[in-house]
Amino acid sequence: MSALGAGLRASLRHRRLAAVLWLSLFFSALVFGHTFRKLFAPLDEGAFRESLVKGWDGWGVLTFTVKHWDAIGVAIAAAGGAVLLFALLQVFLTGGVLRALVAGRARPVFRLVVAESAGLFKANLWATLRFALTATLWMALLVAAPVRVLGKLGKDAPPHTFLPELAFWWAIAAGSIVLLNVGLRYDLARVALARGEAVNARGAYRVSKRRLRGSRPSAILLAVVWLAVGLAVQALFTSWGLRWSPRTNGSTSGLFVFRQVGFFVLAMARVGFWASLLAWENARRPAPSLYGV
Amino acid sequence: MRRLAFAAAATLVLGLPAAALEAPRKVVDYDIAVSLDPATKRVEGTETLKWTNPSEAPVGELRFHLYWNAFRNDRSTLFRESGGRLREDTADTGKGWGYTDVTSMKWDGAELIRGARFESPDDGNRDDRTVLVVPLPRPVAPGETATLAIAWKAKVPKVYARAGYVRDFFMFGQWFPQIGVFEPKGRRRRTDAGWNCHQYHANSEFYADWGDWKVAITVPEKFVVGSAGALVDTKTAGGKKTLTFEQKSVHNFAFTADPRYVVVEDVFDPAKDIPKDEIARASKTLGRSEADLLAGFHKVAIRLYLQPDHLAFDRRHIEAQKWALAWTGLWLFPYPYAQISIVDPPEDGMGAGGMEYETIYTTATFKWMSRWPFSRFVVPETVTIHEFTHGYWMGLLASNEFEESWMDEGINTFTEQLMVDSKYGYFLQVPPGIGLRDSDVYRAYASLSQDHDPILAPAWKFANGQSYGRNSYDQPGTTIQQIRLLLGEEAFWRAFRGYAERWRFDFPTSEDFFDFMRAPGNPVVDDLIRKTWYGRGWVDFSILVASTRPDDGFTGFDDADKPVNFDPDPRKPEKNEDDEDRNFKGPWQSLVTVVRDGSIEMPAHVVMTLKDGTKIERTWDGAGDWIKYRVTSSSPLVKAEVDPGRRIVLDRDPWNNVRYTKRYEGPSAALKARVYALNLLEILLSSVWGVL
Repeated sequence: MSALGAGLRASLRHRRLAAVLWLSLFFSALVFGHTFRKLFAPLDEGAFRESLVKGWDGWGVLTFTVKHWDAIGVAIAAAGGAVLLFALLQVFLTGGVLRALVAGRARPVFRLVVAESAGLFKANLWATLRFALTATLWMALLVAAPVRVLGKLGKDAPPHTFLPELAFWWAIAAGSIVLLNVGLRYDLARVALARGEAVNARGAYRVSKRRLRGSRPSAILLAVVWLAVGLAVQALFTSWGLRWSPRTNGSTSGLFVFRQVGFFVLAMARVGFWASLLAWENARRPAPSLYGV
Repeated sequence: MRRLAFAAAATLVLGLPAAALEAPRKVVDYDIAVSLDPATKRVEGTETLKWTNPSEAPVGELRFHLYWNAFRNDRSTLFRESGGRLREDTADTGKGWGYTDVTSMKWDGAELIRGARFESPDDGNRDDRTVLVVPLPRPVAPGETATLAIAWKAKVPKVYARAGYVRDFFMFGQWFPQIGVFEPKGRRRRTDAGWNCHQYHANSEFYADWGDWKVAITVPEKFVVGSAGALVDTKTAGGKKTLTFEQKSVHNFAFTADPRYVVVEDVFDPAKDIPKDEIARASKTLGRSEADLLAGFHKVAIRLYLQPDHLAFDRRHIEAQKWALAWTGLWLFPYPYAQISIVDPPEDGMGAGGMEYETIYTTATFKWMSRWPFSRFVVPETVTIHEFTHGYWMGLLASNEFEESWMDEGINTFTEQLMVDSKYGYFLQVPPGIGLRDSDVYRAYASLSQDHDPILAPAWKFANGQSYGRNSYDQPGTTIQQIRLLLGEEAFWRAFRGYAERWRFDFPTSEDFFDFMRAPGNPVVDDLIRKTWYGRGWVDFSILVASTRPDDGFTGFDDADKPVNFDPDPRKPEKNEDDEDRNFKGPWQSLVTVVRDGSIEMPAHVVMTLKDGTKIERTWDGAGDWIKYRVTSSSPLVKAEVDPGRRIVLDRDPWNNVRYTKRYEGPSAALKARVYALNLLEILLSSVWGVL
């Protein structure tokens, strides 16, 4: 079975794993989303309640934004906190998710994921730090520095001519390539940790380097395919959600449930990606030596 | 539509009718020859100026604007006022300085420049050199024409405040020694004749006399030149070309040069480009026949000098320009000139963008606004409409922008809102239809921002730049809209058009505008003018109280000490009031208190909505500080609202215009907003999966 096929199959089979990931998303949002309750409470007391229930009211939203700017600032800060919490949760949970996938256990999952995640957390955290460091380094070398040079070369060039455009597209293309490469090293390092092939981040990164040797394009392709699947799911549910335009409390609740289904499907895609990567990595593991290592 | 090289563009006006100009009182006649060296950014020019004394008094000295001296150093008044930052652009204090030096000025063979001096009539800044005073050997007699031969040299500044260069893009605005305005007694309500020649300020620059211009511009051959005039002659020699332009009956002359321009040409054809429904609406509102309204229209040549990276915007600008020509022609009076030129500055030269000059103006285009999801940001169209229409409020009605900036910017803001909102329906919009109307944006600034000044103040005397902006654009634009709503469509538009027609080719003041607005005889308008143009008046209507309770007749002890409608036994639990109310069949007694804060008095519409859908309407004259309404009805009150039609556009806080009683059981906007916000947060969070 191809790596992609393995991922698709796993995404359908390991729905409980997807539920764990979705829960981490939902609760991260909910913990910090409570600030929205206070922020939006005046909507039901003001002049724009009915027009906002019916749809968009630009004047109402504009004046609300100006009047409640401080509260909006608090909500934005809370959103930042949610991102931080969610990121930490992902660093924590990924080890457990990978262990569950390696074990092939569809249920019971929650306890297994948490327990295994806890065991792998420290190593995964170091791996994450190394990922952040290498990403910053390569971004500086391959993206920021060339863009700066192009900017200097083209400082007298009119906007949107060759050099400024080259700098812009270089930043996009080189940035994507760097992130994909550095990200794959990081992902495969976490796979190595989950498989027990390394006891720390340093060793795991060494293993991931060996796995990628000679096979980098196929790994990148795999990551890009799953990224596209995720984007498609997100776009589909967001677009449908925007068309929903609820006008009653019941319909609003319906929209909320619908969007959660969308995020759950996205979490399934995430499980699919990990299963695909495991299958891809498995196919590239050296055959066990008769004499041992 | 055709895209042609500039040489071909020169032939465009052939075949078009000569503009049906009404003659303004011409005071000046300029014949200018100017040569630009793009490499050194230096300019040399000569100018023959014929100036006619328009007054009954002899004039012993002349005053000139030398605008580019504002860029001479960091001591100029413009630099001090702006701090080197203006129009979201920053001055290049390295090599970006500029200046104008008049090297010679002769009258009847006598050299005048040796006796000339700089003066700073507005702020006494001794380092400002933007007003040159030239004493004359003998006075210019009333009605006499003095012919002056002027030579000057200039260095073009790096653009940050309107005029200047970026690489090979040049915008020449306020670029030549321009004589100030000697106002005769009676003009702009003056009691005695005198010079009106202000320094170049950060926020103002326009006031000049009408006249005719002939301008010969010499540039390297590769340059494309656009100007306020019509091209009448082209000569080439030694890798350079000299283009001669002429324009009659304007009070300024600007031009632009850039080798990268793509010239897009089109023609405004009244037969095709004026929407029929707009003609019908204008005819009905103004009380004039359609034939009468269309009588002064003629074809207008449109030339768009577009940056090559902005080609995707060609139709957007052209269509906006045509709509502005149609709208202004119908509601004000038809554009009298034969051509209009639109200049599109490069994106790194936006200090030159969004500027009005007569028969030529600069717009603003950003390439990202051609791409999804920003392609429905009609900022380029709005700037085109705004700057073109300045040609009416600063141009054809030659108000003094130095002293009454609102007459240029404020009236223009009002007309811009109408044109943008009626054509596009929004100013900024992203999928799925979430957007803001142009009028909402201005109105928000007007009603929600901090006020420090009245509208009417010289442009350099506002508390700060924000106050200048608020009181020159947003507040007058919104207040005129308020006057429109108070007077009603017919009365307002007839007065508004009356003002435009009366003061066409003349020099109106604020009071001239107010005279037309007061004419319909609405005392609220008079009060509004007094409190906003001459004061810092504001208004905020709100519902202070909205309550409803069962009107179950008498409650308490009666004359025989018998309890009525209540149980006096303290051991029994009190009845649940809500349950009791729910079962109550009526009648209901409701109280609504409406409050008006702020000094502006105006009538307000009050609507009380009952649970059964019945609406009880009242009109409050707004004269007191508050009013109470008591209503007895068969259904409970659920909502009280003041100004539900949102006709009080100056209302500072529209959110307090409604109060719901606890009987309201409708759907929740807060719930909807929370769900949207939570989903948005989840989308943001889930993007982390792409990285971690």
